[in-house]
Amino acid sequence: MLKKVIAIAFFMAIIVGACAPAGPDTIKIGVNAPITGDIPKVGEGTKFAAEMWLEAIGGELEIGGKTYAIELVIEDNEAKGESAAAVNQKLTTQDEVLVIVGPQSSKQAVPAGGVANDNKTPMVSPWSTNPATTLDRPWVFRTPFLDPFQGPVIANFVTEEYGFTKAAVLYDVASDYPKGLADNFLSGWEDIHGADSVVAFESFTTADTDFSAQITKIKNTGAEFIFSPQYYNEVALIVQQAHELGFNAPIVGSDSWGSAELVNLCGEDCYGLFFSTHYAADGATGATKDFIDAYNAKHGYIPDDVGALTWDTFLIIQKAMEDCGEITGDLAVDRACVRDALAQIKNFAGITGEMTFTEQGDPIKCAVIVQISDEGTFKFYDQACP
Amino acid sequence: MELNVKYAEENRSRFRNLLHKLWEPYKQVPLLGWLLAALVAVLLEMLVGQPLARLLGMSKIPALFGVILVLKTPILIPSTLLYLLLIYGLPIAITARLTAKLTDFIAAKLYNTSTGLSILLHVALLYAVLHLWTSISDYRLLVVKLTLISIIITLSLNVINGYMGEFSCSHPGFIALGAYTASIFTIVLFVSENQFGEAVLPPALGPYLFPIGLVLGGIAAAIGALLVAIPSFRTRGDYLAIISLAFMFIVVSLFNNLEIVGGARGLSNQPDYANLATIFVWTILSIWIINNFVRSTIGKALNAVRDGELAASAMTVDTRKTKMVAFLFSAFWAGVAGGLFAHVIRYINPGTFGIRKLAEVLAMVYLGGLNSVAGSVVGAVGFNLLSEALRPLEILKWIIIPVMLILVMIYRPTGLIAFTELDPIALIKPKSMTEGEADNATS
Repeated sequence: MLKKVIAIAFFMAIIVGACAPAGPDTIKIGVNAPITGDIPKVGEGTKFAAEMWLEAIGGELEIGGKTYAIELVIEDNEAKGESAAAVNQKLTTQDEVLVIVGPQSSKQAVPAGGVANDNKTPMVSPWSTNPATTLDRPWVFRTPFLDPFQGPVIANFVTEEYGFTKAAVLYDVASDYPKGLADNFLSGWEDIHGADSVVAFESFTTADTDFSAQITKIKNTGAEFIFSPQYYNEVALIVQQAHELGFNAPIVGSDSWGSAELVNLCGEDCYGLFFSTHYAADGATGATKDFIDAYNAKHGYIPDDVGALTWDTFLIIQKAMEDCGEITGDLAVDRACVRDALAQIKNFAGITGEMTFTEQGDPIKCAVIVQISDEGTFKFYDQACP
Repeated sequence: MELNVKYAEENRSRFRNLLHKLWEPYKQVPLLGWLLAALVAVLLEMLVGQPLARLLGMSKIPALFGVILVLKTPILIPSTLLYLLLIYGLPIAITARLTAKLTDFIAAKLYNTSTGLSILLHVALLYAVLHLWTSISDYRLLVVKLTLISIIITLSLNVINGYMGEFSCSHPGFIALGAYTASIFTIVLFVSENQFGEAVLPPALGPYLFPIGLVLGGIAAAIGALLVAIPSFRTRGDYLAIISLAFMFIVVSLFNNLEIVGGARGLSNQPDYANLATIFVWTILSIWIINNFVRSTIGKALNAVRDGELAASAMTVDTRKTKMVAFLFSAFWAGVAGGLFAHVIRYINPGTFGIRKLAEVLAMVYLGGLNSVAGSVVGAVGFNLLSEALRPLEILKWIIIPVMLILVMIYRPTGLIAFTELDPIALIKPKSMTEGEADNATS
């Protein structure tokens, strides 16, 4: 008896499976995110923003007068380069997605971008700043501004705001983002103030927690401020240790500071400091405010720049798909169409600013200077455009 | 109650008998027969896989035996099982059984003519199966490439951690040295418009000279191993583990601070030379050479050193030389694997070769089994496929895999297939031949 039931259930299931909806009216979008690994918070922000977007459009999109169901294929890349490449290979050839969002950090985006480009599938990375991600890859785009832009922006801002001439840099030599930005700041600062105006260029290695040697050295060189393009957890330690060692000059940062965790860890020590970033959460208006409020209501914290940039990325690919006019069902044609539409996006108003893609697939957009207020929020202070 | 137990027992033995009966004819199938059957299954998948998958409600041929698909949409479990049965299970079972006599006859003929030729034929058949199987999906291809490279890495680490009985943690460092050396070799020589300037040689030569780059990578890793070996062989056990761990960190720091190879930003633009054939040949070479190495006098000497260094020394084993040779040999293969890895992913950065890589490599070695070539292959393939197939489980995957490792450590403390010897000649031996006949044939 039991065997019969099992057999019948088995065949029923096959029939149900065979009838499962898999028509051409579904558009698949791949998301390549670091859900496990070193940076799970980044993966979480990506996933939340992606799901919010899907909810916002009601799970479907109208393209050329026809309604398509949108399906997100979210895959975990474990924050590893080879896994990100494998995920992209799977998304492009197995799942047959139309366009890929992610991976976030450059360590994954550079190899994954190569796979997307080889498979002629458009990919937009919301967070990667390494030039190699998009370089000579017509199918790969990104939403954040690049370090060669951000470095000089900070140099200009400090010069105008404080009138300083002697800079110090403290960065992580083993992490590609801080390293790249530190180099770009160095050249940006020296362009304004001449050679040797960066009096200390101090480095440490990922997972270091004691910076007193570097800070003491910086203090002794007579630097007027420190630029530290580090992640929020290190920033808290650097700022607190600097204050303990009696270094009370400003410490300036970059977009990697922009996490809600920063103020929790750093407390009053960080009040009043400036950093450059993609958007300012406090005092935001319009679409930006709507996004922040919706995210906060749903997940209980203010989204950091990963969330905001991922959100913008989804809006961009939505626009590209809509601009495409028609989804033919022939994947190669549709992918090419989305790529061309992406390349032609001009003055797109995202929540992280207005952007236009260059030929290289990098956006031209403004940077925002944010000040950490006495309530611990990130307040808009200034804007710098290319 | 008692009746129930009895009934269950009876049932179980009946089941066992049935399995036994089903398996009985397959005892006569030689390796050649299995390979042929696999080839038939793969050909069948190429011909009817796609329409069958569509018919069963899947949009594509399930890439890795449908595990990923099943985890994402459990409703497809029956169709996936049916697919696996129709494409792999039944064809393999039927072909293997029907051709058993024929393949055994051919295997015997080949065996009597030349064992070398026979092995070559088996390997060629294996490649044909892999080539066709991966031609169905590019995703499969990438997974197979990475798995083959993992086999080389696992095997080479097993020489130190298994056969020599030391605990070395420097393997990611060796892999990094190989990866960077081979990458620099190919980029400088064959790639234009890069950080090193124009290509020195015409790019058309690249694929032919690529093996030289890999060997150079292996040599670089071996030189690195020499640097660890000289100070560390005064110590054993925990101390070697710490010194080798330090070496790994030194290598990573070195590449982080070498601006010429991109520093922390990494090195990209490697040409696409590592195709399946290249990787397959290197993997087979590594299995062959490492297997011969550990079965040779020096391999036995290694085991002697592991079991008792003083005793080995008393039995005229030059312990210092033995350890040194094994260490450099192991590092060489890790370096080769690194070179292949760099040309598959075509981007490397120092962060890739850190503590996480180490954990992965160690897991593969200890999962598969110490002191065993077959175990290393099983460990590498098992870990890679599992890790790829369980990806949809996200964070749960990192609970399941460690729990499996713990279970293996509890029930088989030295790994799944430990302390065995791989004899390729025994593998290809026709089933109909008795021991005596086989001995006559080889002698």
